[in-house]
Amino acid sequence: MAMKNQINPWLASNVWLLVIAMLPAFLLLAALIYFTAWAFSFSFTDLELVGRKSVNWSWVGFENYVRLWTRKGFLDALWTTVIFTFFSAIVGQSVLGFLLAGALRTTRSNLRSFIEVAIMLGWLLPDIVAAFLWSATTSQTGLINNLIITPLGFKPVNFISEFALPVVTIANIWKGTAWSYLLFSAALDSVSREVVEAAKVDGATPFQRIWLVILPIIRPHIATNMLFITIWTFTYFPLIYALTGGGPGRQSETLAIFMYKQSFGTGKLGYGSAISVAMLLIVGALSLIYLRLLREPK
Amino acid sequence: MENEGHSRAMALALSFMALIWISPFAWLILNAFDPAATGRLAIPQGVTLGNFAQAMSGNAGRQFLNSIYIAAGTATLTVIVGIAAAYPLSRLKIPGRNAFLWALVVMRMLPSIGVLVPMYFVSQSMGLLNNYGVVLALTILNLPFTLLLLKNFFDTVPVELEEAAYVEGASLWHIVTRIVLPLSRAGIAVVWFFTFTGAWNEFLLPLIFSRTEQGFPMSVGLYAAFGQNGAIQYGFLAAYSIIYAAPAVGVYFLLRRNMNTGFAGVGVKG
Repeated sequence: MAMKNQINPWLASNVWLLVIAMLPAFLLLAALIYFTAWAFSFSFTDLELVGRKSVNWSWVGFENYVRLWTRKGFLDALWTTVIFTFFSAIVGQSVLGFLLAGALRTTRSNLRSFIEVAIMLGWLLPDIVAAFLWSATTSQTGLINNLIITPLGFKPVNFISEFALPVVTIANIWKGTAWSYLLFSAALDSVSREVVEAAKVDGATPFQRIWLVILPIIRPHIATNMLFITIWTFTYFPLIYALTGGGPGRQSETLAIFMYKQSFGTGKLGYGSAISVAMLLIVGALSLIYLRLLREPK
Repeated sequence: MENEGHSRAMALALSFMALIWISPFAWLILNAFDPAATGRLAIPQGVTLGNFAQAMSGNAGRQFLNSIYIAAGTATLTVIVGIAAAYPLSRLKIPGRNAFLWALVVMRMLPSIGVLVPMYFVSQSMGLLNNYGVVLALTILNLPFTLLLLKNFFDTVPVELEEAAYVEGASLWHIVTRIVLPLSRAGIAVVWFFTFTGAWNEFLLPLIFSRTEQGFPMSVGLYAAFGQNGAIQYGFLAAYSIIYAAPAVGVYFLLRRNMNTGFAGVGVKG
């Protein structure tokens, strides 16, 4: 009889072949680990993209990290990122996704699939197409001015230059809500009807039913959702960059854009690496908080 | 009935929301078929496919092919390298392999923007600041998650089938190509398409790696076109956007049922 740890005979005679088959994957994974290690060590150098310091760089200790705190750019970008993440992902996508998932459970199937397709289209669209759509929609001759602002008798508004951060926030809600919706739909399917009915019989108001019965049951889903959308939104680059380029000025400059501009615009690769390490640490800390939330049932 | 009125109001509100949600698409389609598109919301005077023809020729056509090359190349390379490593990982009892795989996935969940600078540097010194480099970089970034998914698919293939085939005298190659791969076909297809759409949408890597307009994939091409100052060709850009968005949207509706369960699975199992 085969023991648990014994290798099956058709594998045993080909162990070397199998090891060789694994080699390409291990090489690429080693490269990934190597790159990650490099990102850390670059952040302690004054490496630059072009010029003398691209070859003759030197170690500068924690200078780049000190600069994160003492120069203005990083903290401003961090604050913009927090605002963007909080309003577009945590408030916008999660809450809207949850409300939609709840509302559509009892809705007729035609309307339901129409809305599902509508929000899925936003999710499926490539980032740059979404950016083009929103840039055109909010332009001075665009949809919003055409349909709402001008008919009401106001002068056309150039939304991107006047309300850059709100526009990218709304665009990201439009683009990303589908993920939260799908996740919460699946979560609500796992809540048994009996429990909710029982709470109803006991006289719980709709608000109490959601807050005291449904939310505690789907807490792991909420934490999972938060984990994913926070990581994505915190480091999200294409939509914002293509819509506003971080501007006007620095109004919509999130950390990802700040890091890109410092590394590849100004060419300060060492400083750019310090920014990305700081981003990794922040995202890592946030993930740990969510994972605790996920694990601990109260 | 109070309840009925309530649900009717809800249905009305939901329909209104859906209309707002899709109105940019209506705008997009109207402009794409309008021979004199100005970016306004207007019923076109005539219908033309000229914008689409323009968006498929010259540099735009090249960019479409570049995107196909990057997306299909990344997906195929990732899946092949992944399969070759995932089967042994699934069958051989290597100590610590699960911890190893999860460590990789955790590492991959951290933003790829973190490894951008080293990747750029290595590619520059190896002369890979082109679409080969993009494919290689995207493969490296996608591999951990692909590897874990494929290993899980192979774990579900019953070993008894392989045993039976071995007793019948089949070689390892036959066992893998005739039994294991066909049985995990659906899973492999989903992984391939996920990787494909991810690479198809990718913007930041080619933005840094591609140096010429002929080398741009569609993401960078579209960005370069509407970022330009001066007159914006709305008809061309709308048609270009539709062509660019079509594969990702189409693949989703093709694989809709598989993907919805995939989403749910990701959510609960983490």
